[in-house]
Amino acid sequence: MLGLLKLIQSIIKTLHSAGTPGQVALGMSLGSALGLTPLMNVHNLIIFSLLVLLNVSFGGGMLGWMLFVPVGFLLDPVFHAIGLELLEAPSLRPMWTTFTNTPILPYTNFNNTVVLGSVVGWMVLTVPIFFAARYGIAKYRATIGERVRQSRLYKAVTASQVYNIYRMFRP
Amino acid sequence: MNVKIFRWKAIGPLLLLFLILVVLIWIFAEPVARETTEEASTELLGTQVDVGVLDLHPRQAAVDLRRLQIAHPFVLTRNLIEAEEIRLKLNPEALAEKKLVIEQLNLSGMRFDTQRKTPARAPSREGFTGQVYRAVEQWANQFDVPLLSLTPIDTIRQLALNPEQLTTIKQAQAVLARTDSTRDALSEGFRKLDVRPTIDSARALVERLRATDAKALGLEGTKQAIESVRQTLKSVADARERLNVLEQNTTAAVKSLGEGVQLVNQATGKDVAFAKSLLKLPTFAAPEIGTALFGKVSIDRFKQAVYWAELAQKYMPPGLRPRATPGPQRLRASGETIEFPKANEYPNFLLERGTIDFVIGGTGPVQGAYQASVRGLTSAPALYGRPAVISAGREARGSAIAAIDVDAVIDHVTSKTVDSVNARLRGIDLPSFDLPGIPFSIAPGRGSSELAFTMKGSGIFGRWAVRSDQVGWIADTTGRALNDLERLVGRVVSGLKALDLVAELRGTISSPKLSVSSNLDQAIAKRLKAVIGEEVARAERMVRAKVDSLVADKVQPVRQRVAAVQAEANKRISGEKQRMDQVEKALNAELKRLTAGLAPGIRLPEIKL
Repeated sequence: MLGLLKLIQSIIKTLHSAGTPGQVALGMSLGSALGLTPLMNVHNLIIFSLLVLLNVSFGGGMLGWMLFVPVGFLLDPVFHAIGLELLEAPSLRPMWTTFTNTPILPYTNFNNTVVLGSVVGWMVLTVPIFFAARYGIAKYRATIGERVRQSRLYKAVTASQVYNIYRMFRP
Repeated sequence: MNVKIFRWKAIGPLLLLFLILVVLIWIFAEPVARETTEEASTELLGTQVDVGVLDLHPRQAAVDLRRLQIAHPFVLTRNLIEAEEIRLKLNPEALAEKKLVIEQLNLSGMRFDTQRKTPARAPSREGFTGQVYRAVEQWANQFDVPLLSLTPIDTIRQLALNPEQLTTIKQAQAVLARTDSTRDALSEGFRKLDVRPTIDSARALVERLRATDAKALGLEGTKQAIESVRQTLKSVADARERLNVLEQNTTAAVKSLGEGVQLVNQATGKDVAFAKSLLKLPTFAAPEIGTALFGKVSIDRFKQAVYWAELAQKYMPPGLRPRATPGPQRLRASGETIEFPKANEYPNFLLERGTIDFVIGGTGPVQGAYQASVRGLTSAPALYGRPAVISAGREARGSAIAAIDVDAVIDHVTSKTVDSVNARLRGIDLPSFDLPGIPFSIAPGRGSSELAFTMKGSGIFGRWAVRSDQVGWIADTTGRALNDLERLVGRVVSGLKALDLVAELRGTISSPKLSVSSNLDQAIAKRLKAVIGEEVARAERMVRAKVDSLVADKVQPVRQRVAAVQAEANKRISGEKQRMDQVEKALNAELKRLTAGLAPGIRLPEIKL
């Protein structure tokens, strides 16, 4: 229940943030990596750092993460198949052999089928996610955005202490 | 418009976050590493592994483990190994490649086969070790270890046998059905062979030619006659070819029926054994007694060796091909993690050298300081290039009558894998064990024990020997009073102070053969034969007569029917052959006569078809 409330809070805050639809969409497409791929991996540390350092919507990133977690679980069998195909491809074997025998790189866990498959899957999906999110946010703001901004729920959310912290990271 | 790409003000919080992460790792690294080590080792070995304390020493690239316990996979109340302190010196270069290369392992305060404070968790049925555990249990259950029966002879009154339980009758019915179908098939074969028209036409030609004067035929007529004879001879030869094929088929079918009759005879032997088992007749065959007494305890020893050998086969595969293992356990799917071994690089796991010091205390003859060493234990033997070698023995040379020596070699460098272990224990207190089927336990006392086990590809060889001259016997009288035979066996065994047991395992892993012999079974067999031999023989004759009476009216017709089919088939084949021989001979004679008239004095070669 708490997760659901946070999700609603995040959606509301993000959709009405000062960021442009492009910034929010870019944040979402970066954040989708956290949801689509297994979280505890080195590449996600880089993604998180990018979300913080780049002038994109951090809230969009968190929203993308939360929205794509269930999608990631659902697509795990597909990611496994993609990863297995790539790792077992004879033409790529020399590359993987070098990769897994080079210092530091094995800690990326890219020799795991689900990790590799999901990262590749995210790379493929990130552009469609960006354009779809940008279109959706622009459409939302142009249609019902102002009415939501005037609602009591929105005011309650934005008045909370959490929102003040969040404002530090908004674009 | 000036587009801002970086959010400079976020660098501080991000660095702070990383700092918090580092502090958290610093605080929780050891407990997390300890739990991870326990989980990973438990999964790898298929038995509970507990680590009391784990200390990381990043500057020395070393790890200290204390109070390590590895539970016995088959006896959950005991530990296979306990170690007070273990120091692992790791290779930092390999760690950077996420590989665990232990340059030096020092293990001290080691004890074997100790009692656990709390029973270990049952081995997981999931994963590879679970599969191996189940497979080894099934492997052990395949041995047909008879139970030694000491039912008093005077309780054997009569035998109630249900004919439906006897395999002879089922086997006989099956052979009978096969006999009928074979007879029909042979009849059909003779019908299709149909050599009569060929023979009849050949006979008619011979008759016609005999009635003809070759000189009166003239040159052209003689040529035509010769051609007719040759054509007919060819037809006869074709028919003979078909007859040969039929003969081959008939021989195979008749042989198969003969084998069926043999199976019926064998089934009768099994039925007699089955009927004997219903009577629980005491056996006095020494090999059977040996297997009954020591089969289970021997299999338990070999079972453990097979378990560890199977794990070694899995974790130390030969070759350098990429190999997949299940990925880490997490909320998301584990997937598969694929290793890519590379020549001249470190394997994913390597224990280069391990030194294990342990002390056997007390006042026994084996007391003293011992040292064990491990070399080349690796997940990629082909990369390491040498077999893994494990050895253990006393540091100082001790007495010849008391010592512990262990040598093991795991050679998976090439696809021709060899796993072998030789353990020799002399002057040790041997554990007591129950003797199944008789209400006695044996306490071998102080003696020697040897275990040799080799698995070469799918072939296995195992030898377990126990020798002692301080054997004690414990009668289990808690359940019930002993009967006469049990008292007799008790008197026999209690007079024995020495035990000389040898159990051998041979064959392949899928088809192992166990043989057990000991001085005990020979003594029991001899005494039992002297006391109850005649009565048992009489009971056995009664059993055979009973089985024979039940199966005779089913088996005899089968034997007769099979014999009849065999005789009929042979008769028909030889009859057809004889007719063909006759007609062929007559045709050749006519051919010879005709060719002589055509060119007197010129001998044409005989046509062989």
